[in-house]
Amino acid sequence: MQFMSFVDWLAVMPGWIQGLPEGLQNIIYQIFQTFIFEDRWNTFFLSGLKTTFIIAIGALILGVIVGVLVAVVRSAHDSKRTRPGILLRIADFLCKLYLTIIRGTPVMVQLLLMGFVIMVPKLGSNEATWCAIITFGINSGAYVAEIVRSGIMSVDQGQMEAGRSLGLNYVQTMRYIIVPQAIKNILPALGNEMITLVKETSVVMVISVQDLTQAAKVIVSKTYMAIVPYVSLAIIYLVIVLILTKLLAIFERRLRESDKR
Amino acid sequence: MINVEKLEKAYGDHLVLKGVSEHIEKGEKVVIIGPSGSGKSTFLRCLNLLEQPTGGTITFEGVDITDPKNDINKMRQKMGMVFQQFNLFPHLTVRENIKLAPVKLGLMTREQADKRALELLKRVGLPDKADVYPKQLSGGQQQRIAIARALAMNPDVMLFDEPTSALDPEMVGEVLNLMKELADEGMTMVVVTHEMGFARSVATRVLFMDGGVIAEQNDPETFFTNPQHPRLKEFLSQVL
Repeated sequence: MQFMSFVDWLAVMPGWIQGLPEGLQNIIYQIFQTFIFEDRWNTFFLSGLKTTFIIAIGALILGVIVGVLVAVVRSAHDSKRTRPGILLRIADFLCKLYLTIIRGTPVMVQLLLMGFVIMVPKLGSNEATWCAIITFGINSGAYVAEIVRSGIMSVDQGQMEAGRSLGLNYVQTMRYIIVPQAIKNILPALGNEMITLVKETSVVMVISVQDLTQAAKVIVSKTYMAIVPYVSLAIIYLVIVLILTKLLAIFERRLRESDKR
Repeated sequence: MINVEKLEKAYGDHLVLKGVSEHIEKGEKVVIIGPSGSGKSTFLRCLNLLEQPTGGTITFEGVDITDPKNDINKMRQKMGMVFQQFNLFPHLTVRENIKLAPVKLGLMTREQADKRALELLKRVGLPDKADVYPKQLSGGQQQRIAIARALAMNPDVMLFDEPTSALDPEMVGEVLNLMKELADEGMTMVVVTHEMGFARSVATRVLFMDGGVIAEQNDPETFFTNPQHPRLKEFLSQVL
């Protein structure tokens, strides 16, 4: 059964609902249609939410890895007082090219290119989810790279000297001394990027991945009623962002432990 | 132990070190003084290649460290350095500051490094500060921790780059005393400082740098009582 009319629905409801004013009944009917009928809260919203989370978390991990690597190459290149070696200059050039292309085109366009030109996954499959993760990871990496680079530059030059003077090499000093301090400085900006990423994943429907937004859209197409699904969709995103903001604040407070005097 | 031949360092067209040659023996305590801009800090920082020399060679324990084929990271493990600004790692506790390099370089296990860190903290007179963060300490305490951190690598030589210049006057003494004790234990030391009293009582040799060269050097007694170079005479008359 694809559809249950208002009259059919009201007939099977308990008496106290039948006694309510019609406007209220209508809203309850729409909520029923959106969430409860055919277990849509589970088959659409929950599974859509899962997909959204998988894409956002996967892309975030990929983005941070790509971003940190690019940032380290870029700041290694820029911090050399003498002319850097040929390999470093090639790496730096490639990083700059990557930043330019990714930051110069909309993520929607990148998704279309990945979905229909480069990777061409079978639509609606797990491959499509992977395609989304990779696209958003690469996209986010470009923004994370510039954030991390600003963080690395904000760490005092003496920290690098202290690390190197103990015999640690450049990469070890970066890993154990510079990057941990940089992360602390850039956490607000990084959190912002994470929140943006979660919301941006709502366009994955163009390569027909069944995320949260797509779930709401399908329900609207089944019920021909837009208010409840879309308002609920907005509320769910809002709640996710609020939770993330709270978690970040806690995390940040813990990192600030070493600032106590 | 350290042999420097015709060391030159230029920033662009500006020549900071104009061919410095110097030999430092094991067990020596060499103090370098001189007006600011004379190249004394640059000279010290060239010794462990924090500054890349633009000419000349530096040989440390028989290895030419200015030769790019030799692994500078390995050589730096044997050369402790203490900075004017302490440069402790603010995101790590004191104990972790000391342990980091020996553990990450695979020289000690965590437990060994932990034991060593506590020994060193006792050694520098701060045994109760193992688990606080650097920012909770005074400047003098931070500098003593920085010395402990350098000592954790069991270096053969310690380089001090104006270790007391960033300290409040009442904290200078505690750091200088610790350095004196280190000297008495036989540590080879190269110290850039403005503390003439320290130079006089601890140094086995004092170098006066001016304009990118070593203008004069002598044992501390002769150096301070009978200076020859007119620039040194003028300098000493201003600082003593």
